[in-house]
Amino acid sequence: MSHALPPHKPFELTPERLKEYVVQYATNPIYLDNEEWENDDNPYRRQLRPQVLPYLDFSRVLPRSEILHYEGLAAQRILAAIYESDLMFLPKAGLKDKWDDFKQYYSPSNRALGEIIRPSLEKFAFGFLDQEVEVSGKWTKAELETYLRALEDRDLTQPTLSEIAIEKSTDPVRAAKTWLIQFAPDFLSEASPMLRNVLGYYGPAQSEWFKIIIDEYGYGVHKTKHSHLFERTLESVGLRSDVHHYWQYYLNSSLMVNNYFHYLGKNHELFFRYIGALYYTETALVDFCRRAAELLTKVFGPDVDVEYFTEHIGIDVHHGRMALEKLILPLVEEHGEVIIPEIVRGFEEFQIISDIADRDFADQIAWMDSGPANKELHAPVWEAISSGRVTPPVANIVEPYRELSNTHCHDGDELCHIVSGTMKFVAGFESHQILEAGEGTVINRNRLHGAIIESEECVYEIHSVGDYRACLS
Amino acid sequence: MPVVTFAVEGRDNCVAIGGSAYVYARTEHGSFVLSANCPHRGGPLNLAEFEPGRSRLVCPWHDRAASVTKAIKAGVPAVRHGDRVTAVLPDHDGAGYTLEHRPMSGALARC
Ligand code: FES
Ligand SMILES: [Fe+2]
Ligand SMILES: [Fe+2]
Ligand SMILES: [Fe+2]
Repeated sequence: MSHALPPHKPFELTPERLKEYVVQYATNPIYLDNEEWENDDNPYRRQLRPQVLPYLDFSRVLPRSEILHYEGLAAQRILAAIYESDLMFLPKAGLKDKWDDFKQYYSPSNRALGEIIRPSLEKFAFGFLDQEVEVSGKWTKAELETYLRALEDRDLTQPTLSEIAIEKSTDPVRAAKTWLIQFAPDFLSEASPMLRNVLGYYGPAQSEWFKIIIDEYGYGVHKTKHSHLFERTLESVGLRSDVHHYWQYYLNSSLMVNNYFHYLGKNHELFFRYIGALYYTETALVDFCRRAAELLTKVFGPDVDVEYFTEHIGIDVHHGRMALEKLILPLVEEHGEVIIPEIVRGFEEFQIISDIADRDFADQIAWMDSGPANKELHAPVWEAISSGRVTPPVANIVEPYRELSNTHCHDGDELCHIVSGTMKFVAGFESHQILEAGEGTVINRNRLHGAIIESEECVYEIHSVGDYRACLS
Repeated sequence: MPVVTFAVEGRDNCVAIGGSAYVYARTEHGSFVLSANCPHRGGPLNLAEFEPGRSRLVCPWHDRAASVTKAIKAGVPAVRHGDRVTAVLPDHDGAGYTLEHRPMSGALARC
């Protein structure tokens, strides 16, 4: 007697179920708002602002033009929390009072919920790359090699927008610290996404892949492990090196850069994209690290520890070459031209993401630097609103002493107007303005910020002006 | 084989190299690098339209038709990234290239 099998149905979540699971995931106590700006040696605490999640729609592909909107930031924060539950983290000063958080973060419930929502969030956050990168024509190994080697002729010595922003900043030390903070999610668990491709069996390429990891892990000598070199960089400029200490100061795109490699490493069907992206990043890092070491020394003086960067100048020459000659070309030889479009995609996609991150960071530095100017802009914009010349939607808010709005961003410009009390408006790391009754600030779209109330109570209004320039006349 | 990056549309949307010219075509059947010169008598394929109801591009000069599915699969290897394209072009005896503008027909400029 035979039993008819039901037809196979791929896993899919309806938008309603997705929202339900996202909220269920993020209401875990370890993901609730923090009462402080920084996490204190607790790698399990990641502020996901679950209170806002019921209003967000992750059941679509976020277009390129909206990639820095709040929904993008929210998705990248959740994805970072999900990916990293595959990684092992322990607090520097011992588990002690963090035992419950440790159990929560690695709990079957947290991991299962994360896995259920991960594919949808990945599609939401990285789906735009399907539109951005398109491979066509007949690629053979020879053309691929020519195309990839053309990177060697590209001038990668020019400073990025981020580096220019730091140099030109009104506060280069703060800007450079903010820069180092953006690298922390990646560098403190450096090469962890890569290790996702160490498991399994896939022939000689696997051992070549592993050789790169051996360098990243400092040959088993802790003080040469790349992540440890970076801890020393952080500490040498007075920054903390505990994992996700500065979670609230990570930009959307900094998380995106880091999550991209987890996304490729977690989904093994994207293995070939990974090797394309790996080739680009290892090759480009050589010049990048040379410039970074110089810039950091210029900004902080000779006491900054830049060995992390100088080490990479030396070793990534090899890693770029190894990625091409020991991974990419032998794999094409072995598996044929079918894998080439994926390699090309990874190579291009990571450049697009790096570009987004470069601009996002430069914009954030400009935003932090214009704190005083944005405070002054309150007056003319408020005049346009109070005179009735413009009538944007308004939210009236009352908050008690020490209420901390965890960092976030808005999709359009806003005007914050203080009716009574005192607010400390925070535009980024070590960057704030004190706003008293009658004062306020323009808040630029997509710019990370938060606030804390410094009086018994604070009554304030948020006017969603869209584009503040339209209020000036 | 020169690796050339050029614009998807507008200024610099054409690579001229050793008597050949290449543009990036975005059609309802897919996108690909198109040789702008018709193999017949050099007609402007950048101005070609589709044969009604078929995926064949028709040269505006003497109506020779060619399949685009073939051009997508077997054509010049290329990748579009945002509004730029990078192509690995066939060798033209070491000739240098210049970027210029060519107008595109409606059928070849669908986003
Ligand atoms: S030139 Fe194209 S058909 Fe004659
Ligand atoms: Fe490294
Ligand atoms: Fe490396
Ligand atoms: Fe806000």
